Amino acid sequence: MARHSPVTGRYVTIEVDGLEYKVFYLHNGQGTPLLCQHTAGAHNHQWRGLLEDEEITKDYNVIAYDLARHGKSDPPLNVEWWKSEYKLTADHYVNFIVALADALELDDPIFMGSSFGGNVALQLALRRPDRFRAVIPVEAADYAPGFFLDWWHHPHANAAQVCASGVWDLMAPQSPEMDRWLTWHYYTQGSEAFKGDLYFYSVDHDLRADLDRIDARRCPVVMMTGTYDYLTPPEATENTARQIKGGIYIEMTDIGHFPMSENYPLFRVYLKEALRIIRERTGG
Amino acid sequence: MASDIKHWANRFKTASDSDATIGAMAKYFTCSYMWDMEDAKVIVEMHDGKVKSINTDPAPLDAYDFALRASAASWREFGRPVPRPHFHGIWSASFRQDLKLEGNILVLMQNLRNFTVQFELLRKVGVPV
Repeated sequence: MARHSPVTGRYVTIEVDGLEYKVFYLHNGQGTPLLCQHTAGAHNHQWRGLLEDEEITKDYNVIAYDLARHGKSDPPLNVEWWKSEYKLTADHYVNFIVALADALELDDPIFMGSSFGGNVALQLALRRPDRFRAVIPVEAADYAPGFFLDWWHHPHANAAQVCASGVWDLMAPQSPEMDRWLTWHYYTQGSEAFKGDLYFYSVDHDLRADLDRIDARRCPVVMMTGTYDYLTPPEATENTARQIKGGIYIEMTDIGHFPMSENYPLFRVYLKEALRIIRERTGG
Repeated sequence: MASDIKHWANRFKTASDSDATIGAMAKYFTCSYMWDMEDAKVIVEMHDGKVKSINTDPAPLDAYDFALRASAASWREFGRPVPRPHFHGIWSASFRQDLKLEGNILVLMQNLRNFTVQFELLRKVGVPV
C-alpha cells in the first residue's frame, strides 16, 4: 500500500503585467483559503508541516505556491528573461499574488507569508484590503534594509552554499537540526532568484511613510516574529504593528526567521492563535 | 592563561577534525583565519578540512585570510551551549552585536558552510576568554 500524502500539486497558468507564468502550487484542506508564500530564494516545501496539519486543514484550504523563478514555477514563458537582471518589485509581486488568487477563484482568502512574503503581506493589506480576508505577515517589517548583497551571486564562491549558510543563523539554535538542514537544503536550490527577491525585500519595499494608510479593522493584520530573527528583529515588527490601525503583534519565543520550516510544531502554536484572532475579527 | 589557551586549542582541533558534518564536505576547506577575542587571539589554519595548526600567540606580522573580532564578552556568549538571540551566529552578531568581519571576506564566503559549522563547535568546546 503506497504511503501517499494528502497533499497534491497542480500547475495553473496566469498572466501578470504582460508576463505569462505557469505556477506550481501544493494544496490540502477545505474551508477558508489560506494562501501561503515562501521566503526569498526558497520554495513551497517550507510549508510542508502546515500542508499536512490535520487540525488546520480540517477548516482551512491551505495553498502553498512557488513564486515564479522558484521551485517548480518557471520564469516567464513569453519573454527572453535571461537577457535582463531579475529584480522583484512590489508592484509586480502584488499583481502576481492577486492574479493567482483570481485564477484559483479564492473566495476571501487569508494571505500568509514569511520574510519577503511577510513584507508583501503588508503591501497587500495596504493596496488590496478588498481582496483578502486578512493577512499574516511573518518575520516582516515596514522596512528591512541590508540584505541586497552581491555575495549571493559572487562568481568566485559557491552561490548555493553562500545562500544556504548565509541564512543559517537566521534560524534559532533550538530548532530541530533536521528541519534546519532541510531549510538549508531548500536554500541551496534558489540562489539565482535569491538576490532578485531581496531587491524587493531590502530596497523596493519601504512602507515607513504608509503604515497609517493600512486599516487592519478592514483587513486584519496579525504580525508574528521570532526572537532569534536578527534581520527583522521583534522590535522592528512590533514597531510596525503599532503604527497600523488595529494591527496585532505576536512575539514567537525561541524561533527564527523561517518558523514554518525550521520548527513547525512550535510555529503552529502561534499560527493557531493568529487564526483564532482572525476568526474573531471577521466572524468566520 | 597560556596553558589554558593551548588546552582549548587541542580541544577545538579534536572537535573539528572529528566533526562528521565538516568531514562530509571537507575536501577543499583550506584557509586561515584569526579569532580576535579581545583578551586572546588565535590563528587557525585549515588544510583539506583538518586543523593544520592553531597559533595561540600570534605575532604582529603573522598572516591569515580573514578575521572575526569582537569583545571577550561576546565570545563568551558565542560559547554558551545555547546562545542568546543575536549571539547565535556570525551574521546575527555582525548585524546586531559588536562582531566585525575583516580581511578577505571572499575566502570566508568560499568556505562558509564549513566555517559556520566550525564556529558553532564553540558551543561544545567553549572559548578561552
